[in-house]
Amino acid sequence: MQRGTKRKFGSVIRYALLSIWLIISTFPIYWMVSTAFKLPEQWFTWPPTWFPTPPTVENFAIVWAGYGMFAPRPGFAFPSISLDPLYALGNSAFIAGSATLLSVTIGLLLAYGVSRYKILPEHRMFNLLMLRMMPPIVIAIPLVIWYSTLKLLDTWHGMIIIYTITTIPYAVWMTKSFIDEVPEEMEQAAQLLGASKLRAFVTIVVPLIRSGVVATCMFILILTWSEYLLGLVMTAANAQTLPVQLSKFEGTQEGRLYGLQSALSVGVTIPLIIIGLLIHKHLVRGFSFGMIRRQ
Amino acid sequence: MAATSRIRKKGGFFRWGALTPLVLAMAFLIPVLCLQIYLTLHQWTAYLGPWWTANFVGLDLFLEVVTEERFLAALARSFVFAGLSTLLSVLLGFGLAFLLQKPFRGRSLYYMLFIIPMLTVPVVIGFTFQMLLYQQGPINQILSFFVPGEIRISWLGEPIPAFATMVLIEVWNWTPFVMIIMLAGLVSMPKDPVEAARVLGASRWQIFAHVTLPLLKPVLVLAIILRFLEALAEFPKFWAITQGGPGTFTETIPVYLYLTAWDYLNVSKAAAMSYVVLLLVGTIIYFAIRTLLRQKRSLDVMFAKAGG
Repeated sequence: MQRGTKRKFGSVIRYALLSIWLIISTFPIYWMVSTAFKLPEQWFTWPPTWFPTPPTVENFAIVWAGYGMFAPRPGFAFPSISLDPLYALGNSAFIAGSATLLSVTIGLLLAYGVSRYKILPEHRMFNLLMLRMMPPIVIAIPLVIWYSTLKLLDTWHGMIIIYTITTIPYAVWMTKSFIDEVPEEMEQAAQLLGASKLRAFVTIVVPLIRSGVVATCMFILILTWSEYLLGLVMTAANAQTLPVQLSKFEGTQEGRLYGLQSALSVGVTIPLIIIGLLIHKHLVRGFSFGMIRRQ
Repeated sequence: MAATSRIRKKGGFFRWGALTPLVLAMAFLIPVLCLQIYLTLHQWTAYLGPWWTANFVGLDLFLEVVTEERFLAALARSFVFAGLSTLLSVLLGFGLAFLLQKPFRGRSLYYMLFIIPMLTVPVVIGFTFQMLLYQQGPINQILSFFVPGEIRISWLGEPIPAFATMVLIEVWNWTPFVMIIMLAGLVSMPKDPVEAARVLGASRWQIFAHVTLPLLKPVLVLAIILRFLEALAEFPKFWAITQGGPGTFTETIPVYLYLTAWDYLNVSKAAAMSYVVLLLVGTIIYFAIRTLLRQKRSLDVMFAKAGG
């Protein structure tokens, strides 16, 4: 009896603590989403407006469908610098998508080679992590000069190259952790039956780790999509990515445009959150370079 | 024929197919490192001519940087920021992992909602917290609710609150990272030692300190190392929220480097600074990687059955 109450008490405490953290961790997201639906007069009120009444989609329309399409209301200040979130969205999608595919392809081949044929000793490949752990700002300065010498600044392919290189360590180690789970005997059997090494890889291993490869792609997509610093210093009008565009929005002279910025933020981050939640099982593997797995 | 079979043995297609891109990537990055060294030894002013016409100044810039008070302060601030935020997020993340360890109703819902901060784009986090911390914003309102009188703290306007706020935002952002790592560790940890200690009559605290913690050490070390290095490199949130202000009170190394190169346009000095940071952080990373490699063996054993 007493034991039962004690357990119940412990359970209440647990729910209480978890709920406190739940509020802390989701409140900022709630505030961003709700502000995106607020009319301009509700952006700066005291006390702050907690629920947009009535909710409006005007912010989204202005940010994502072009300024001219909706008649501006009084109270809306429009940024004077040219901003085109849709164009930046296209840039981001193309750059992040291509870099992801390249990085995962290279990573997959490399991981397979290391796992099965020891083309590189494992500890040597571990040094790849160095590439990732170094703060990007440290190489940003010579990188920009190198890029301008090669005429790669502010181009799509330039961004794809650098994002591919910087995400390879994650791609290699994450795919390798999936490959290591496939028993080697299966490919050996296929090779005994006459399949080439490449064929054994493509027809046996790849289908077995398909979901892992998809998870790796999504993980790398999250990384490249949210990357900010390199995008900031290496792109301008032509290849500007979405996070950079968002930060340019903040710097406008007209003061703070909370509703518009929130509408933009929602578009930048909500797709990523959804992708991340879809692969939540594999996130730990990605972030720990395949060293830690979740059951 | 003999040659082909020898190549096949070593991996054939996978050997060149995988190593070529890697070698190309390295070849692409080597000039960057050379440029880095070149720039630290030459005073280059971006608008006076191309970089190869810069004046040779030897180690002058290097010496200027390592004796500069602002640089050293930024360096110290970076380490304090990384240390504090790592400490707090490890404590919190470990605690949350403990609470989520055993199955209960709603566990996976909590898990999913808890990882949201980690998935949010950093620039968006910066901007969102600006809204929250605004003097007439919701955080001051919530505090006013608990304390008599109206609270109007200018979170980002005063030195100490601004720095503390940045640390807390980092903690908010990355506690889930520690949580998911520790949770995976707790779940995959061998159960027998804990059971044995309980049978032998050890107290909860004894079990935690002498059984659980040593078993989780590799996981903990990994979380701390990755978190610390990521925090050292943190730039987007600082740039979106404080840009180093008020004054230079939240100016960490990445912010100061960015300001020097892109605001003050003193590229050579910034390059010299980044070279110093490269050497310093490079040393740390070297030891970090060696530690990780050592822990990786025990992790591989621990997670050998956990996959799939």
